[in-house]
Amino acid sequence: MAPVLELKGVEAAYGKAKALHGIDLRVEPGEVVALLGANGAGKTTTFRVISGLMRPSAGEVRFDGASIAGCSADAVLRAGLAHCPEERHVWPEMTVEENLRLGAYLVSQRIEIERRMERIYLRFPRLKERRRQSAGTLSGGEQQMLAIGRALMSAPRLLLLDEPSLGLSPRMAKEVLAVIRELQGQGITVLLVEQNVHNALSVASRAYVFETGRVVAENTSQALLDSPDLLKAYLGG
Amino acid sequence: MDLFLQLLANGLVNGTFYALSALGLTLVFGLMRVVNFAHGEFYVIGGLAGWALTNAVGLHFFLALPIVILGMGVFGLLIDRFLIERVRDQGPETGILLTIGLSIFIVNTALLVVGTAPLKVVSPFLNRPIFIGPVVVTQARLFTVALCAVLILAVHLLVQRTTLGRAMRATFQDATAARLVGIRTRHVYGLTFALGSALAGTAGMLLGSIYVAQATIGGIVSLKAFVVVILGGMGSFAGAIVGGLVLGLVEAIWGGYGPSGYVDAVGFALVIVMLLVRPYGLFSKQVERA
Repeated sequence: MAPVLELKGVEAAYGKAKALHGIDLRVEPGEVVALLGANGAGKTTTFRVISGLMRPSAGEVRFDGASIAGCSADAVLRAGLAHCPEERHVWPEMTVEENLRLGAYLVSQRIEIERRMERIYLRFPRLKERRRQSAGTLSGGEQQMLAIGRALMSAPRLLLLDEPSLGLSPRMAKEVLAVIRELQGQGITVLLVEQNVHNALSVASRAYVFETGRVVAENTSQALLDSPDLLKAYLGG
Repeated sequence: MDLFLQLLANGLVNGTFYALSALGLTLVFGLMRVVNFAHGEFYVIGGLAGWALTNAVGLHFFLALPIVILGMGVFGLLIDRFLIERVRDQGPETGILLTIGLSIFIVNTALLVVGTAPLKVVSPFLNRPIFIGPVVVTQARLFTVALCAVLILAVHLLVQRTTLGRAMRATFQDATAARLVGIRTRHVYGLTFALGSALAGTAGMLLGSIYVAQATIGGIVSLKAFVVVILGGMGSFAGAIVGGLVLGLVEAIWGGYGPSGYVDAVGFALVIVMLLVRPYGLFSKQVERA
C-alpha cells in the first residue's frame, strides 16, 4: 500500500543549530504511529516541518504521494493534514465556539461548518456546555479537547497530535487515548508524540524512537513493549 | 452652571476626537502589540495630504477623504512589509526604536516639504455655531463627532463580527495556532497595520479641518493616543471611546477651572493613577493562559 505520509532524509535547523539530521519515516493509511524520545530529540520539530510551520533545509516530505516540503501551513491543511500543537495553543480570550469555528477557517460552506460543529459537540459535550466561555477559563483537559476539536474541524485525513496528555490527570489522559482510538475507527491516520511511553504504545501500532535529531529505532509497539531494555536504553527509563 | 455645561460639551467633543485619534493605535498597539511611536506622524501625513488635496489641488473634501484613506492604507501596508516585518517577534524594543526612527524621518521630511506653518484642511462644513440650550457647538464639530462615531462603530464590528476580524484576533492572541488553522498571518499583520495607518490618517484629515494640520504636532498626538489606549484597556474599542471621553472631559474641566498651563499634564497623571489602580485599563478583561 502507498504510504499516506513519507519523510526521506529530512533536515531542519533553527538558525545555525541543526535540529534534524535526516529523518526517514512512513505512515500507512489508518495507522496510529507514535514518535518517542527525550525532550529535544526532534519530534516536535519534525511535526513543525510536516505541517509547514517550518521549512526543511533538505529532504522530501510526501503526503498522499505529493510533495509538501516547504509548502505554507494553509496549503498543507487544505491538503488534509492537521497539526494539533504542543501546549494546546487555544486562543484564551476567544470563546470555545469561536475557537472551534476558526478550526474550519478554510471551509466556506456554512452548512458544512455547522455539521462539523454538531459532530464535535456530540463527541465533547463539555465543550458544548461551555461554548460561550473564553477558552482561557477552561481546565487543562478541556483545553486539550478543544484543541483536538479545533483540529478536527478541518476534517483532516491525517492528524499530528503533539503531547496531547501533557500536564493532564491520568483520568483525562485516558480520555485522550480513547479519542485517538475513535479517530482511528473513523479512518483518520494519527501521528502521535507522547512523553508517556506506555500510553503511546497502548494506542499506536508502531513507533519511531528519536534521539538528537535522528531516528534510532523503529518497531511495532508489541516488540517495543516486549523488550523493556531496548526502550530503557533509548528513553532513559 | 452654564460654564460647566459648555465645558462638558467641549470635553465630550474633544473626547470623541481623542477616541478617533487613538482608534488606529487601538488596533496597532492594543491588538497587534506594536508600540508605534510614529502613530502621530501617520496622523500628520493624513492631515497634510488632506490639506494638499483640498487646498492646493482644490478637490472636494469628500473626494479627497477616500484618497487619503486608501493612500494611507497602502502606505501602512508597505511600512509593515518592508520595516515592521523585519522586527516581528523580537520583543517590543526593536519595534520602539524602529518607529521612533520612522517618526523622526517623517517629521523632518514633512518640514522639508511644507515647512512649519499650520495648514487648514478645507471642509464643506461651516463654523456656524449651533445653540443647544446654553451650549454652543459649531456645525463642523457636530458633523465630525458623528463621523467619528460611525468610524469607531465600523471598526468595532469589523474586529468582532467579520472573518477578517476573527483572523486578526486569532493571529494576535496566538500566531502559531492561527497558522495551523490556515490563516495567512503575514497578510493579517499587513492588513491590520494598513487599517491602523488609514485610521490615523483619517483622524488627521478630519481634525485638520477643525484644528490645523502641522508637521510638528505628531509627538503630542502619539502621546495622547497612548494615554487613551492605556486608560481604556489594550485593544478594547469601548475602552478607547471611554478613554477618549474621560481624557477630553478631564482636560476641559481642568482647563475651565484650574491652571490652564497644566492641561496637557492631566492626561498623564490619569495614566499613572490608572496603571496603579487598574493596570489592564477600564475595559480589558485579563484571562490567564492555562
